[in-house]
Amino acid sequence: MSHAPFSGLESSEPRRVVVAMSGGVDSSIAAALLKQAGHDVIGATLKLQECHDAQGSRSCCGVDGIARAREVAGQLDIRHYVIDCVREFEREILRPAWDEYSNGRTPSPCLICNERIKFGQLLTWSKRIGASFVATGHYARIEPIADGQHMLLRGLDTGKDQSYFLAGLTSRQLSALLFPIGHLTKAEVRNIGRSMGLSTAETHDSQDACLVAPGQSFAEMLRERFGAVMPEGVVINDTGDVIGQHKGIHHFTVGQRRGLGISYSSRLWVRAIRAADNTVVVTSREDALLSQRLAARGMNWLIPPPAGDDTFECQVQIRYQHRPAKATATLRNDGAVAVSFHKPVRAITPGQAAVFYDGDKVLGRGWIYAE
Amino acid sequence: MIYLDNNATTALEPEVLDEMMPWLGGTPGNPSSIHSFGQETRRAIDRARTRVARFIGAQPEELVFTSGGTEADNLALFGAVAASGTTTPHVVTTIIEHQAVINPCRHIEKAGGVVAWAPIDANGLIRPEDTIALFKDDTLLVSVMLANNDIGTIQPVRELSNATRERGILLHTDAVQAAGKIEIDVKKLGVDLLSLSAHKLYGPKGVGILYVRKGIRLKPLVFGGHQERGLRPGTENVAGIVGFGKACEIAGARLAADAARMETMRSAFETAICERIAGTTINGLNAPRLPNTSNLSFEGIDGEALVINLDLMGLAASTGAACSSAENEPSHVLAAMGRSPAEARSSVRFSFGRHNAEEDVARAIELVAQTVQQLRECRQ
Repeated sequence: MSHAPFSGLESSEPRRVVVAMSGGVDSSIAAALLKQAGHDVIGATLKLQECHDAQGSRSCCGVDGIARAREVAGQLDIRHYVIDCVREFEREILRPAWDEYSNGRTPSPCLICNERIKFGQLLTWSKRIGASFVATGHYARIEPIADGQHMLLRGLDTGKDQSYFLAGLTSRQLSALLFPIGHLTKAEVRNIGRSMGLSTAETHDSQDACLVAPGQSFAEMLRERFGAVMPEGVVINDTGDVIGQHKGIHHFTVGQRRGLGISYSSRLWVRAIRAADNTVVVTSREDALLSQRLAARGMNWLIPPPAGDDTFECQVQIRYQHRPAKATATLRNDGAVAVSFHKPVRAITPGQAAVFYDGDKVLGRGWIYAE
Repeated sequence: MIYLDNNATTALEPEVLDEMMPWLGGTPGNPSSIHSFGQETRRAIDRARTRVARFIGAQPEELVFTSGGTEADNLALFGAVAASGTTTPHVVTTIIEHQAVINPCRHIEKAGGVVAWAPIDANGLIRPEDTIALFKDDTLLVSVMLANNDIGTIQPVRELSNATRERGILLHTDAVQAAGKIEIDVKKLGVDLLSLSAHKLYGPKGVGILYVRKGIRLKPLVFGGHQERGLRPGTENVAGIVGFGKACEIAGARLAADAARMETMRSAFETAICERIAGTTINGLNAPRLPNTSNLSFEGIDGEALVINLDLMGLAASTGAACSSAENEPSHVLAAMGRSPAEARSSVRFSFGRHNAEEDVARAIELVAQTVQQLRECRQ
């Protein structure tokens, strides 16, 4: 049987393609579709952690994922290699993520992992084995634009779209990437998996959240890993009154409501984390979390703003699980972007990525910072 | 596919499998049972023990069957430490041992013992005099591999044995990689302890031996029944042991012919590769080497990329170091020989075996030459 064509290689002659296989259904189907289209498909799984670090993790990047990917590669009759990135992952992802937490920010490790580890390492590796493309099972689409450039679009399954996590890729990287399931829905992907009898058709979604082990917070895992000692501090309310103690600012993120460890007459939300004086500011007014402005720096533009015009209309997404909000963006001389939302948005969190969209098109990605 | 990774493991010899089959699918005999089923099984193990003993010039009662080379190495080291009465022994080994010796030694260090790590020279050999200089009055054990798995250099183990005997030090050798490629005689080597593994000489995986010279006392690492003189309790891996015995019998009978044949193939391979590929270095060339092992460095090439490309072309080889990322440590053996990390990362091990055909060599030369050239072009 055949399935709907996918963007990138529909009418191409057979090419060597490296497929990043996590062991989950999405990347398995990506590999299967490419194989079915007649390409020379090679599976690769990035090893990001040692076995003893992955205990209890049901994650895509855990060692269990490597075994599942190997199994699927066997079913598809393709070669499969494991690329050891344990050190790079520690240095480029885990360390910086801890630095962010310990400075009162909430990191975006998945985006950085995609930019520096997943696609960075895979593209380098694939060139060395003579592959023309790297494919993954992300729900996003790549389409060519003029001059050999490519643009990134949301996946057609809006509930599964992962373009937010990919917005830090460069146009040059996109031209060597394929997302074979970006035009499919999750249900369609599962159906293909079942019809092919693939063993991973029923696996759980891994998302990009490969670090979260059950019952453990990512931040606390990092603290233990790096042996950091976080000082206790105070929790204050809107009016500056001390209403409790905290056991380290890394336990908090802006907008958080649960697990504050404070009994109070009303619900509380984290409004701000002040690393400078080791203080967590909470509020009992949820609307205090609302804000209409943010600033983003370290911009990666996939579709640069129109020349000569520093202000443009767009939609900005400030978290993976956030509905993009209409905004006016203003480019600053230093390359940062000031965003003014048309309506207030909730819990703008320093350290997280702000991704700029024009409809389905990804314009660019920046890092939210507190001015 | 052409298989040039016989140092990793070898194909089971069909005759070996034939001898194993009755013990995989036949009678239920436990060698410790007194009835006829047990007796028959015990005889099979005795026969295998005799065959393995003959292969290394030992007495059958000097062998302890284990689950493989790693367990044999661990039993040698920790068994000797346990029997010595000290928890903080002094041990001498080399920096090019297999992980099955290196990691037990690191464990001994962590537990308070002292390990002296003998260096190797640029040819990949220890110097006996320098190694003996590391011996101390209270040295318990010296462990030096007979042949290195990465580059195939044959270590001068027998030149240590006078010094160890005089001082009452135990001498252990990991002979796993040497077996079936060079003669092994425990008497000539003068060792007290020697490890072997069946799957490196066309036997099954999951079985090995530790030779324990008569009169040497070890303590077990696991406790249970009386099997293997209490040094390795547990119902025997009968089929594996039987297969190991047969594999040793064949290897002993064919040793000279196998070695000569592998050396001819290796020599043709290395000569052609060096002629056709500029910037090739043969690692360990100036040392006595196993006849089957060819460890080559190709200037400017990433060894792992070469191995993967060769695999995709239908040739199985291996990098010394089993890691893949650019910044992982290259082969500890090549590093110990004084090679730069770049040189070490550019090395690939080709290991010939009994089942390689002559046309494999010509094809392998072609594939390696082509692939190295492609990788070099791709860098430019």
